[in-house]
Amino acid sequence: MVEQVNSFAIKTKNVSVHYGNKMAIDDVTINFTKNDVTSLIGPSGCGKSTFLRCLNRMNDVIESCKVQGEFLLNGVTDIYGDSIQVETLREKIGMVFQKPNPFPKSIFENVAYGPKIHGLASTQSELNDIVMESLNRAGLYEEVKDRMDDIATGLSGGQQQRLCIARAIAIRPEIILMDEPCSALDPIATARIEELINELKEKYTIIIVTHSMSQASRISQRTAFFHLGKLIEHGDTSKIFTKPDKEQTNDYITGRFG
Amino acid sequence: MNSLNKRLSAEKRFQAYGLFAVALSMFFVLILMWKIFSTGSGAFVRTTIEANVFFNPDFIQVNQNSLEKELYRASYVALADEVVRQNHPKLNEEQFIKVREMYTRKFDYQLRDYLLDNPDKIGQSIIMKITASSDLDQIVKGNYPRDVPEAQRKINDYQLSVLDKLTSEGKVSSVFNFWFFTKGDSRDPESAGIWGAVMGSLYALIICFSFAFPIGLLASVYLEEFVKPGKVTDIIEVNINNLAAVPSIVFGLLGLGMLIGVIGLPYQVPLVGGLVLGFMTLPTIIIASRASLRSVPPSIREGALAVGATKMQTVFHHVIPLSLPGTLTGTIIGMAQALGETAPLLMIGMVAFVMEIPGGPLDPATGLPSQIYLWSESAERGFLEKTSAGIMLLLLFLIIMNTAAVVIRRRLEVKW
Amino acid sequence: MIYFALLILVIISYLFYFVGKKRALNLKFNGNIKLSSQPDYFGYYVVLMALIPALLMWFGLLLFKGNFQEMFVMSPILFPDISTWSDGKLGLILNKLNNLSVIVNLPLDDLTNGEKSILNMASENELTAAKKLANFDKIYGWSNLTLFIIFPIILGFLATRSISGKLNAQPIVEKIITYIIKGSSYIAILITIGIFLSLVFEAINFFRYVNPVDFFFSTGWNPNRAFVVDASEGFDKDDLENAFGFIPLLTGTLLIATVAMIVAIPLGLMSAIYLAEYASKRVRDIAKPIIEILAGIPTVVYGFFAALSLAPFIKDVGESVGLPVSAESALAAGLAMGVMIIPFVSSLSDDVIKAVPQSLRDGSYALGATRSETIKKVILPAALAGIMGSFLLAVSRAIGETMIVVMAASLRANLTFNPLEPATTITTQIVTSLIGDVEFDNPKTLVAFALGLTLFLMTLLLNILAITIVKKYREKYE
Repeated sequence: MVEQVNSFAIKTKNVSVHYGNKMAIDDVTINFTKNDVTSLIGPSGCGKSTFLRCLNRMNDVIESCKVQGEFLLNGVTDIYGDSIQVETLREKIGMVFQKPNPFPKSIFENVAYGPKIHGLASTQSELNDIVMESLNRAGLYEEVKDRMDDIATGLSGGQQQRLCIARAIAIRPEIILMDEPCSALDPIATARIEELINELKEKYTIIIVTHSMSQASRISQRTAFFHLGKLIEHGDTSKIFTKPDKEQTNDYITGRFG
Repeated sequence: MNSLNKRLSAEKRFQAYGLFAVALSMFFVLILMWKIFSTGSGAFVRTTIEANVFFNPDFIQVNQNSLEKELYRASYVALADEVVRQNHPKLNEEQFIKVREMYTRKFDYQLRDYLLDNPDKIGQSIIMKITASSDLDQIVKGNYPRDVPEAQRKINDYQLSVLDKLTSEGKVSSVFNFWFFTKGDSRDPESAGIWGAVMGSLYALIICFSFAFPIGLLASVYLEEFVKPGKVTDIIEVNINNLAAVPSIVFGLLGLGMLIGVIGLPYQVPLVGGLVLGFMTLPTIIIASRASLRSVPPSIREGALAVGATKMQTVFHHVIPLSLPGTLTGTIIGMAQALGETAPLLMIGMVAFVMEIPGGPLDPATGLPSQIYLWSESAERGFLEKTSAGIMLLLLFLIIMNTAAVVIRRRLEVKW
Repeated sequence: MIYFALLILVIISYLFYFVGKKRALNLKFNGNIKLSSQPDYFGYYVVLMALIPALLMWFGLLLFKGNFQEMFVMSPILFPDISTWSDGKLGLILNKLNNLSVIVNLPLDDLTNGEKSILNMASENELTAAKKLANFDKIYGWSNLTLFIIFPIILGFLATRSISGKLNAQPIVEKIITYIIKGSSYIAILITIGIFLSLVFEAINFFRYVNPVDFFFSTGWNPNRAFVVDASEGFDKDDLENAFGFIPLLTGTLLIATVAMIVAIPLGLMSAIYLAEYASKRVRDIAKPIIEILAGIPTVVYGFFAALSLAPFIKDVGESVGLPVSAESALAAGLAMGVMIIPFVSSLSDDVIKAVPQSLRDGSYALGATRSETIKKVILPAALAGIMGSFLLAVSRAIGETMIVVMAASLRANLTFNPLEPATTITTQIVTSLIGDVEFDNPKTLVAFALGLTLFLMTLLLNILAITIVKKYREKYE
């Protein structure tokens, strides 16, 4: 039983989200298993991105957004608890966005920024190591090692997105949230990122929002299907894509709507 | 068909009015520039008269061993008179006065400055180009007509004859007028310079920048990044828009009534001038800075927040640096406006006659535009070209600042 | 010296940032203490703790320097009758002592003759006071230096020592910085309040001498009448009755502004229309910046031009056709002001015209209308509110313009609507009354603030009206 509790990276219960009077998420309960890739799929506007942004409280910035329900990190820490500092939380739960958004600074600075502000390195050489290791893990190091001081916005789209992944893992998170990370990329760059996600799941729990069902089936072990703010079905990817329990899920994956 | 023709010719007329309006506006620019350049160019040269100068130690009561301090403090008036007498022998007293008037009244300073640079020349003779008086200068430059009755001339017939004799001997020449760029104001046009006013304006602009830039930047950061739009921002916003349209003279009254009257800051100083200009520039900076902050895409903020930066770190590490070129552009444009503002300077007393070049923001000073105003009010013809030359210099500074603003915008501004 | 001290202060705070951050990192890595804030914040914490008290005290010292000086120097022992002195006299003596204090301790050899004579003319008591003042300045200088360097160092040291696992620096730092940026944004409001208060305060003083009804409704403007009376003896009511009549200034201001608008509105509006609707891109790229130059030229230049060239030119032309034209005619000042306002009108109108949706134009062209017909019948009516708003802004600008009228308009009040006659304006009279001796106990000076207040309210009203109109207009097409 104890092991069961610990095997979940994030547990949520009865989550509802409102934008003003508009309901975006309606009573969602879902648990994310550790070291798995979980895909959130569903038609646009189904609330999957909103739900993802609740997990590291990125919705805090939006004035009208009201989040209710229970969020537990590692089964114990209340994500929305009073004693939680949102910055510390985001140190544990990193995020990669739809459009690559590197800072218009050097490649090195982009990756080093997180470790710097969190004080993860006591010396410059430690910092260098962190940056190198993160770039390495993001599969970017070989491509950029000779131009660490170049401005990051000069990289190609796929490289930029891998840089953002490196930036996210540089602060040693436990969980990485990805919000349609490949939607702005070409197929080759997409394949590269998918490969990377597959490698990363060894160390991190990954929750990814994607609009591509084939991508979900390729990279994830678990899949959750959202529709109109509700969680319709959640289970092993193979099961969801072959014989889903709910008819709505079946309709969606067979392309009958969405 | 007839009505269509009418309509088409109405169309042509209308277009011609428009073209005329544009052409006339451009013509105004040209005529302004032409007028200023044609009256002002004379100020960059000054007429000199070559004279033999014997630094007779008896007249200045110094010797080869005198210290620099003593050289500086000695009186050179008698020596100047003696130089005139030696170069124009056999003058009676009346003639001497007339001839002496042809040289600048600051003759003695010119001698002193030379000797300070070349102390070894004491007791020796040299040939020196002595600056002519402004009236003579104007005659030589052709700004005063020679063919009017003597009573209407500042230079009488006798002086003209001396001038003609000097000219025929090749002793009258024009040199570049360094004094204009290095000296403070003077009662005599030939020795009046703009440098004091330039420094006054410079100190005022430094104060203006140190006040308005940080406060304008922080204020816009607060309004754009930290506060929810609501009553408070509305009030501040309306306030800023109105402040931008308050006549500059009213800001001057604020400086006089509040800064000088209530707080007790001194009159005539660039500190007060700079603060008043800063008050005026603040709305410009805030408006520019807010626009610039708004143009930083939200994805940058999200990126920083997602790696666990606090709101404050996000703003200070990422958003502000990215918005800085836009803010700086607005600041420079605002400061260029401030540099040209005259009315507030009049209110706080930066229009006095100041000979000394100010050494800091607490020394009495004039500003560049107020110096122009002072000279333009002066009756002497010699100040007319100084006025125009001062305007040329002012316009030059404005061009430099505006170019800098454009360059910063082109080079540094990040395009999204 | 103050710059030097500021520089040192900057260096000190830079160092303290690293010291604070370093100590926090040390605790984390070597002491294995969990920090409650990010290490950055400990750096900021130390800097703020070291700087803020020092800066506040420095500001206080600066503000009260005059008071300290007076307390230190102006003792009744040296100046027995000090309690009877007026503020003006006190200021004069202090000024004299300040000049003396610079030279009083120098060896006689170093003084110029002028300085020697200043010394010789000073009384024994004044010399003593000047020496005290010199001492005071020395002490003041040193205390400033202490404040700038030693005090921050001690505070910074203490703040560094206080860093521990328990100290949560982030909320403290964020609170202080929030106060600072919040304060900055309130400064704009403070400036407005400052303008209003300083104008109202001195205007009330003025209205103690002059009845507001007389001021706003009488037609005689002869402020010099107030000059002949010694302020301390009070004023004869009869003298002041027709001395400060606002009406001729108002008519003069409106007359000149009208001339300016007659020049600026057609030229500005037509240029804007031509450049927006007719001109090719190349013409626009050349003409627009050139016209914008007119806006960048300082007004003192226009004033100079108006007084030097325009006024004599108009006088000559007028006389050649037999019209008597004053050398300081309202026409000259108005024309120059009009030229100045052209780019203002044209760029505002340009914005407004561009805001008219293309669909309106297309509709008109589709009916077979020519361009000018479209402009006259569709675009201008649609843009009318916005254009009126920009005209109002231009009028407000013309009313508040100072240098052109100071240099080219008359100083003498003249109740006329003939632009060929001289006229004076509100701003001209503000400047005239404040040039020379500024005595805050004389209605001749104080009237400037009453005029300023009137001007401020007039322009404020116009601006609010214009901004409201333009805003309404914008919303219509958004």
